[in-house]
Amino acid sequence: MYNSEVRGRLIEGDKSLGQISREIIAPIHAKTPIWWYGALLVSLGMFGFGLYCKYITVTTGIGTWGVNNSVAWGWAIINFVWWIGIGHAGTAFSIFLLILRQKWRTAINRAAEAMTVVAVFCASLFPLLHMGRPWLFFYIFPYPNTRGPLWVNFNSPLFWDFVAISAYLLISASFWYFGMVPDFATIRDTAKSKIKKAVYGFFAFGWTGSSREWLRFEGLSFVLGGIAAVLVVSVHSIVSTDFAVSVKPGWHTTIFPPYFVVGAIFSGFAMVLTLVITMRVLYKMNDFITDSHIDAVCRVLVFISLIMGTAYMTEIFMAWYSGSEYETYLFFHTRIFGEYAPQFWAMFIANAIVPQLFWFKKMRRNMWVVFIVSIIINIGMWFERFNIVVTSLSRDYLPSSWASYSPTWVEVGFFIGTLGMFIAGVLLFFRFIPMIAISELKSVAKFDKPHNHVKHTGHE
Amino acid sequence: MNKEYILGVFNDEESLIEAFGKVKEKGVMPVEVFTPYPIHEILEGMGNKTKITHAAFFYGLFATIGILGFLTFAASYSWPLNYGGKPFNAFPSFIIVTIVAAILSITLLTLFTFSARAKIFPGKKPKIFHERATDDKFVMVLDKESMGSENEAIQSIIKEFGEIE
Repeated sequence: MYNSEVRGRLIEGDKSLGQISREIIAPIHAKTPIWWYGALLVSLGMFGFGLYCKYITVTTGIGTWGVNNSVAWGWAIINFVWWIGIGHAGTAFSIFLLILRQKWRTAINRAAEAMTVVAVFCASLFPLLHMGRPWLFFYIFPYPNTRGPLWVNFNSPLFWDFVAISAYLLISASFWYFGMVPDFATIRDTAKSKIKKAVYGFFAFGWTGSSREWLRFEGLSFVLGGIAAVLVVSVHSIVSTDFAVSVKPGWHTTIFPPYFVVGAIFSGFAMVLTLVITMRVLYKMNDFITDSHIDAVCRVLVFISLIMGTAYMTEIFMAWYSGSEYETYLFFHTRIFGEYAPQFWAMFIANAIVPQLFWFKKMRRNMWVVFIVSIIINIGMWFERFNIVVTSLSRDYLPSSWASYSPTWVEVGFFIGTLGMFIAGVLLFFRFIPMIAISELKSVAKFDKPHNHVKHTGHE
Repeated sequence: MNKEYILGVFNDEESLIEAFGKVKEKGVMPVEVFTPYPIHEILEGMGNKTKITHAAFFYGLFATIGILGFLTFAASYSWPLNYGGKPFNAFPSFIIVTIVAAILSITLLTLFTFSARAKIFPGKKPKIFHERATDDKFVMVLDKESMGSENEAIQSIIKEFGEIE
């Protein structure tokens, strides 16, 4: 069986188990750095501006946005799909790599899952506000009501989406939290201050690390891992049916569910890279998130980038090959050479061409290149959603209903607000939660010992 | 409950596993073993079994039946509405909600089961035998009474691989 040799060392510097706990917990016990307060202030400012834009949206109405009768979905839905896509990586990362027994996941999965929870939360705000009257939000729950009872339309992808997103938020949050319980116990038992002992002790739920607890913990991980894998694939497939079930040119295609799932994992992995490189720089986590960890994520990205490129080409080919003049017009006269050509090419270059840099080891090992490419991918994936949402709506079957779309400052502000919320969430995560799954990392530490004489215990 | 315990404290997984095996050979079962991460030899050796996966299966089964039943009831019996001429009992479009909501039910119910069976819940006061068992020590707890005449033999086994505290 191949082992960690292929991947390089999992943890650099021959650390003892005690060292692993100490170094990962260090940022929690250390004095909060000045930059942290600065960054939190900026992100809260962005968040506040977003709140103001939400206030305007609710008090005045959706008319403050740039959407119109034809392009009824604008930035709100673009950003919703973008955030959900990013939120996909956390669970995808943990689950798929767990199933594939990839030990290198242990250093990154905690950060990826934290990112998931915050991103899904950001995403859920967009459809909520897009309802126009968010205080009637509860109408979407199928509960016995005095209006009939008038049940919701179970055939509608919008209802499927609501169920999927709420389930995904709850499940990824609980998966993340229960993974942290043993680590909270480690903080409780190593903390000197009484307040920390009490607070982390509360969140540790009385964990002691006994064999009875671990046995059931393993069972729980097994169950959650197995069913969350289904969820990861189904959630973004459902998001894609919001589009694919309609009959708009460019939307009504069978390629959409896999295309969306792969795209989501692509953008999520790029965001994971952005995040872990930041962790390496700010918190000196290089020994745990080694160059070979980054290298592994880059290799995944270059592969997914090829799939994305293939999907784009397939769409274009089918538009031409189908002989449908609406499809042909949309792809060739609106997207590739038309009004929205800049957005189309931004998407194509950022997602299908730039990541090809990762074929070269030199590029994968240069953190600046990796960081910049990861940001470019995130921007490219945003443009992909712009292409999907806006172009199809602005050029449908009736030329009399063609319309253009550009966002107003309220929509832009709303998006900036969610960016602020995301950054603030990540900062709180850096400060108060162990950034790396300590107990999982310890369980793989033995595979790094010299000569690798260690007996395999069957536990990954 | 004033039992006297002996704590065998080990520095690594291998020493714990070897000592655990030898102690068991002497016919003594440790009361409990505390480790910083799960070790399968210990989990199996302690003889406990978990049925959490079976429970999850039944949660899934009942959730699926319940949700599908509810959707069919609400859409075709309670207040049927005509959506673009589709049949009231539009079974294929119920499948998606059924899958996702069943996954949610399984997750939440399994979490509650875990919490109840492993006794991990908010506000619980942990009984800590050794503070570093969640950090870097592997701790085996033995009951002095149950060791009986093997007391010294077991103490020497522990000393061979770790320390007694």
